[in-house]
Amino acid sequence: MAELLQNLIDGLGRGSIYALLALGVAVVFGIMHLLNFAHGELITIPGYLTYWAFNNGWSWWTVVPLIIVSAVISSLLIERVAFSRVRGAKDFTMLLTSFGVHFIVSAGFLLYIGAAVKPYPRPGWFADTISVGSLNIEVFDLVVIGVTAVVLAATTWLLQRTMFGLALRAAAADFDTARLMGVNSDSVIRGAFALSGLLAGIAGVFWIMREGQVTPTAGINPMLQGVLAALIGGLGSLRGAVLGGLVLGLAEVLLRSWLPVGIQNLTTGFVFVMIALLFIFRPGGLLSVPQVERV
Amino acid sequence: MFPNARRDIAFPIVGSIVLFLVLFGGGLLYQTILGNGSAERLVTTMLIDAIIVIGIQIYIGNTGILSFGHIGFGAIAGYVFAVYAISPEEKLKRIPTAPFGLTDTQVSPTVAILIAVAVTVVFAVIVGIGLARSGAQSGSVAATVITLALLFVTHEVAKSWPELTGGNRGGISFGIGESLKGRLPILGLLFAAMLVARLYGQSRSGKLAVAAREDNLAARAMGVNPLVQQMVALLLSVVVVSGGSSLRVWQIGSILPDRFFFDYAMLTLVMLIVGGRNSVTGAVLGVAVMTAARELARRLGQDGFEVFGIGLDGAPLDWVFRENLNSVVLGLAMVAFMIWRPTGILEDWEFDQWLYKTVGRGDEVEPERLTELDSVSETAFVASGINVSFGGFKALTDAGITANGGEIVGIIGPNGAGKTTFVNVITGMVEPQSGVFSIDEENLSGKASFDLSRSGLVRTFQNLRLFGALTVRENIEVASLVASEHRAGRAVRDVDSLMLEAGLWDHRDRRARELDYGNSRRLELARAAAMAPSFMLLDEPTSGMSDSESITMIEQVRHMAATVGAGVIVIDHDLGFITGISDRIYVFDQGEVIADGTPEEVQANPYVQAAYLGSAAIT
Repeated sequence: MAELLQNLIDGLGRGSIYALLALGVAVVFGIMHLLNFAHGELITIPGYLTYWAFNNGWSWWTVVPLIIVSAVISSLLIERVAFSRVRGAKDFTMLLTSFGVHFIVSAGFLLYIGAAVKPYPRPGWFADTISVGSLNIEVFDLVVIGVTAVVLAATTWLLQRTMFGLALRAAAADFDTARLMGVNSDSVIRGAFALSGLLAGIAGVFWIMREGQVTPTAGINPMLQGVLAALIGGLGSLRGAVLGGLVLGLAEVLLRSWLPVGIQNLTTGFVFVMIALLFIFRPGGLLSVPQVERV
Repeated sequence: MFPNARRDIAFPIVGSIVLFLVLFGGGLLYQTILGNGSAERLVTTMLIDAIIVIGIQIYIGNTGILSFGHIGFGAIAGYVFAVYAISPEEKLKRIPTAPFGLTDTQVSPTVAILIAVAVTVVFAVIVGIGLARSGAQSGSVAATVITLALLFVTHEVAKSWPELTGGNRGGISFGIGESLKGRLPILGLLFAAMLVARLYGQSRSGKLAVAAREDNLAARAMGVNPLVQQMVALLLSVVVVSGGSSLRVWQIGSILPDRFFFDYAMLTLVMLIVGGRNSVTGAVLGVAVMTAARELARRLGQDGFEVFGIGLDGAPLDWVFRENLNSVVLGLAMVAFMIWRPTGILEDWEFDQWLYKTVGRGDEVEPERLTELDSVSETAFVASGINVSFGGFKALTDAGITANGGEIVGIIGPNGAGKTTFVNVITGMVEPQSGVFSIDEENLSGKASFDLSRSGLVRTFQNLRLFGALTVRENIEVASLVASEHRAGRAVRDVDSLMLEAGLWDHRDRRARELDYGNSRRLELARAAAMAPSFMLLDEPTSGMSDSESITMIEQVRHMAATVGAGVIVIDHDLGFITGISDRIYVFDQGEVIADGTPEEVQANPYVQAAYLGSAAIT
């Protein structure tokens, strides 16, 4: 029982980061039907900045805002340079554009900084635990879960209660009609990328803290987890993205504890197989968004 | 299988030979000029890459589904090949505890390739079923992520199952003597790959897959089941890719998880995209271009500033010409092509088809005209008791119509009358709460749209859904291919004659997306007629037409229907058109059939006047 509870908290901690990433993916997908394979770069770029900052005597107090701000700027920049040019293109084109952006960024780091792992210190409290009864809860997990809850509440407020949120939801429901109703397509798309970058930045703070190092391909894993979580939840559904992230995190942690010792290394493989099964039996994801093709 | 032997078999074979000679000849030329071992290795690598890229083209090109997973399939094949082909002594060093007694097994490389292909195909079937379940179609995002997941699973398993794979560091390597010597297996497989890819592209399955790539919904309305064709394309492409991947392992002499991962997936995709993913010629061109571009970038990065003896000295360029420049080049090429030319250099230009059109076809003579059929087969479409409600709103109440063979039945009604819902029900897109529809007592309710059209109810679309990248002739050919299989007892007419009758003969080689509106409408009509339908269902065929165009459309619909002996059910809100064309008319209003009869009877009916012309007509 205690072990299960411990795993649940552990899984929620992981899942919270995935949820933030998936939400960022889903916001952009909802608005321009772009599945952003470059989403992970919003962690690679701040990751290298973190490395640079620590080499220049910064501390986590100043690095955290640096990560968030740089993620937002990167997101907007990538939209400006690449995605704005393929707006309205076929899905195939947009998929490969985002994949190409991912590749350019990671190849750029490879070119100018090199393949070597670049380490930086984790925060001092990273490994701290709190004991409650027989439970040893990581402070890091609690912080992640707490911050994510606040961020999700704020995002909900933003989407439900502000003019920007209304425009975003309208554009996601029907982009052309929203434009005809006076929604400025440029600003709503940029807003979506800024929000996506903000969410990635917050997730990035935790991701970067946890990793303690950065490499040119550091973005692949967060990208994959974000994209998969968004898909598990049901592409296009924001609530689904959050749910998908939590489910993915829990599945990873619980599987790792349940699998026999010899094959624990294959946890990721098993998670993928489970996701494949989910798609086979529920192709639209957990909270599928009905997509009616107009004839 | 192949509609036209000369065009679809002979010329693709000739084309493949030429393509093969050009690629291989170009490579030989390059390595002779440079005359060193590294040039030779580069050419060998290019030839192997070409096999794999052509294999990927078979799937991506024909289905339009972006797949990262083919390199994952390549990894499976590569490991199976390695585990079977290397010597037991070598295995004792690397993987002494391999499962299934594999440590002691050894077969010849050729047999190992066959085993690798067979095992990989089994995985492909499983993945293919998953893709089909996810509703994969051109550009489908979920399908792409499934293939991406496959790439990661194979990589993950290869890394974390060292007993079989040698794990991340050591991998498995061959004894020196066993590496691939001579290029014969590569050349053989390369030529076979080109041939398979081209013949598949021209085959029935290939054409149906491409039709579904262009418009999934329209393809299904023409009796194509896209999922079947996608599976065929997937299996063929996996066979080619796993053969190529085995050779890749054989040539390098070892395998590591990272050899078949993101970077190689990226490389092969860029090659395919740059040349033109919809064409085999494009795939081959892309391999050549990207191999050259990468080699150039690599030299620029490595040698500092010397390319083929030409010095490009100058410190200002220091920041560009660095090691690993070639991977940036890949990413830049990908994004640049996506932004400026997403269909690649050649789009879907195919060398052998160009050759066929210029020298192989000769002058085409105008086909024979078709005569209208004298006798009309006794057949009846009946829909009855159809009820549909959306939430609390009753869209259709007990609606039904009857249409007999050779008859033109019009359905008319104001906006919101339930016409569109009725069409959606009898085309299988909306499930009614109750009610049935049938042709000659064969119950059609609940059937998939491709089954409906195979049963004889063929539709057109209000907003025109043609196979845009296909020519006029190919559009009709797709329907004709399906008809010759599923509508054999009926009047399957000659493709060329149908084009002539539709007034499209002069446009036969133009792409459907280049046609003007009137010709597009006529093409849709001819395509439906090519299905040899019992009934054609025309959904607002005059929408967007002027009055005079609508009147000419009446003659065309009558003529095409009579040519294939089909009845017509036509939905429109244009009163003049419907009364001009129909033998009988059903009037819908607020989800109910409020009147039916000849055009004169219906026009005289006061309820119709009230519903259609407004209540002022009654008083």
